Amino acid sequence: MATSDTGAPTEREPLTAEQTLALIDGQRAKVDAELEVAPSRLYAAWGVAWLVGFAGLYVTAGADPLLNVSRGAAFAVFFLLLIAAMAFTAGHVARATRGLRGVSATTGAMYFWSWALSFAALPLIISSVERLGAPPAAVDLLWTTVPGLLVGVHYMMAGAMWQDRHGFGLGAWVLISTCLGALAGLPGAYLVMSLAGGGGFLLAALWSAARRRAAEGSTGCGRTL
Amino acid sequence: MTASVELDPVIHAAARLRVTTTLAALATGDRIAFPRLQKLLEMTAGNLSTHLRKLEDAGYVEITKTHQGRMPATYVALSRVGRRAYEDYVAALRALLAAGALTTAQESS
Repeated sequence: MATSDTGAPTEREPLTAEQTLALIDGQRAKVDAELEVAPSRLYAAWGVAWLVGFAGLYVTAGADPLLNVSRGAAFAVFFLLLIAAMAFTAGHVARATRGLRGVSATTGAMYFWSWALSFAALPLIISSVERLGAPPAAVDLLWTTVPGLLVGVHYMMAGAMWQDRHGFGLGAWVLISTCLGALAGLPGAYLVMSLAGGGGFLLAALWSAARRRAAEGSTGCGRTL
Repeated sequence: MTASVELDPVIHAAARLRVTTTLAALATGDRIAFPRLQKLLEMTAGNLSTHLRKLEDAGYVEITKTHQGRMPATYVALSRVGRRAYEDYVAALRALLAAGALTTAQESS
């Protein structure tokens, strides 16, 4: 190892307190950025999927649809968008959390399984209602609103677990949108889910991104330790 | 050493300060895989191992060796003592800055 006599900076060379603090803040900012699950991107992905997907269902609904495209195509687009948003979310979370074990990973895994199992239970419950002779309109409304209920509840749960008030608020908003959709009935519910639900996600994405930029711009290294 | 505020020499080396800062960014109870830690620090494996050993000797870091399938995997976490030492270090540093001192205590001459 080089000695300080050479004048070259070495590990032994003492940093000033300012330099040390700058080193800490720089590394901390880098680590936080790498490990962060950025909510704005996830909200944006789901916002687009809901806005476009539900709009497609709305304009092709009914006996005299606004748009003369097959209903099957609208459903195909809707499910493809949902799958794309799901894949984007999985990829983003996997990238941010790879190599991490312990309490957070266990929490995250249980949260993931809560989504997976509740959505797996959904077709079972709705098809059981259908078998009892519920009219097709009622079954369609269940298919539209029960997923909204699950999404809203999961966002609120995440807000509670990770102390994220804005995530909690978004979940509550999704729940309200779903209730409004249920009150409107079909096909209006599709429009409500598209504009209020999808639009809500997109606004949350924009707001979250803006807040983050403001936080980064204001101090640069203002993180509390 | 004559400084009124003493900075923990185990943490004070720049490389180990970056290691402890990175580990302190994890939530309590979390561990990080060696390769991911290495990437976050942009250090060579040998260099990182050396610093981790020093931190482990001081009781600041806990190293868990495990297996993923057949591949051995190493996970690293700050110990309770290590987290406290790091927080004390940062607090001492801030106190030093607040007191207007411009340089930290040098290694004893």
